[in-house]
Amino acid sequence: MRIRHFIFALLILLVLVVGSSNTSAQALDISSGGQPTITGAVSGSVTGSSDVRNDLVVTINFGEVSPLNTNSIVKVVVPIALRSNQPYQVSVSMSGLNNANAQAVQASDVGFGLQNIRVLGGAGKICTQSTHVIRSPFNDDPATSLTIGSDGRVVYPSTLANLTGSTIILSGPQLSKNNSSIRQQSDGYVFDAIFTLTPQFFAAGVSSATLLFNISAGPNVPC
Amino acid sequence: MPRHTTKIIFKLCLFIMLLLISAVACLGQSTTGTVSMSATVSKFVEINSGGSVTLTGNSGGGVTTDGVTNSPLAVSINLGEVGPSNTNSFVTASVPLKLRSNASYVLSASATVTSSGTTASKIGAADVGFGLGTISRTGLGVNSGSDTNATSGDPTLPANGSVNGTTGRYEFTAVRSNLSAFSSSTTALSGPIIMNAVPRSNANGLTVPALFAVKPQFFENGTTTISVTFTVTAP
Repeated sequence: MRIRHFIFALLILLVLVVGSSNTSAQALDISSGGQPTITGAVSGSVTGSSDVRNDLVVTINFGEVSPLNTNSIVKVVVPIALRSNQPYQVSVSMSGLNNANAQAVQASDVGFGLQNIRVLGGAGKICTQSTHVIRSPFNDDPATSLTIGSDGRVVYPSTLANLTGSTIILSGPQLSKNNSSIRQQSDGYVFDAIFTLTPQFFAAGVSSATLLFNISAGPNVPC
Repeated sequence: MPRHTTKIIFKLCLFIMLLLISAVACLGQSTTGTVSMSATVSKFVEINSGGSVTLTGNSGGGVTTDGVTNSPLAVSINLGEVGPSNTNSFVTASVPLKLRSNASYVLSASATVTSSGTTASKIGAADVGFGLGTISRTGLGVNSGSDTNATSGDPTLPANGSVNGTTGRYEFTAVRSNLSAFSSSTTALSGPIIMNAVPRSNANGLTVPALFAVKPQFFENGTTTISVTFTVTAP
């Protein structure tokens, strides 16, 4: 029986350790912000969780982006949720997409912007002394702000080519009211990460890239 | 408390703790997330009309269905009279073609010529001169490149035909200068990628005239139908 008591105490200790580790980690959190959507795609798709309590793991397949796709643009909207009990910043780094052929899809061909930052449910922290700032040049919807460059190629105000190393795209004051050790459905903020790719006479091939979104302690701004 | 009850409570506590641990693990927070993306670009080629047909040297006849720039190529031409009553040296038709691709391309032609005549003097495929004219790669978004014209160009050029000294019949003699060389699908033009990375709404491309010619002669009387199909591929 004493052995059982010992095991019981050990398990309680384990729970406390796990709980405390999450309590310290929950100060900054990034997760799915809802179901991603895709429009204008031919043979394309996007997968991700609609549950804001799940991790941010999204897979985008833009599908066919040669002129075989007669849609004017392929647009993907990925909602991303953020939680913090302190000022924060979100950075993004990219790997992949290193096509040597200049006529193939390049990082500069993939529009990338942030829009529509909003309270996630009723428990997001409303700060009055600081705002959430989308860093330049990412504050745009690339689907509505594209132009044709001097070489005839589509140009976006902000693209994946603007990601150099780990690039800060967003920062602001405290996001969450609560200090829960687990993710809540309504305790933080959510924004839309928008990705666009215009079908063009790209050189044939398959291109891929991976973006790593990271939330960390940001500039010490008041709430 | 009975030993049996203690055991149940103990196991229940263990189970609850396991649930708690897994719940915390599942709903635990993270400072990173990933978005993976991919896109596919398939080879793409297209042929369209490059504009209006030009018909010259005709007696009667005319362009029945004209070409419309950037629209599917579906041209119909009545060459008119090609017997000796037409005193022009040639009846010629120039049909502008427009090609676009994101890969190397091959333009092939396949022709059928059917005549109501029954003798060797009827119009045959060899009596219809054919060639591709000057190739133009101009405009924003068009890739510079060197194309290979497999035909001999304008079939009316003196170098491309002459009167046969034995039969007296005019013949298009140069390489691939008449439609008998295209009785099956045969390459007429090939080259590297035509378009740079520009949207389909960019209307530029490679333009080249397809030139047809018939020398009015003492052909057997009757009517002749000539049908030519152009196909562009990305091998």
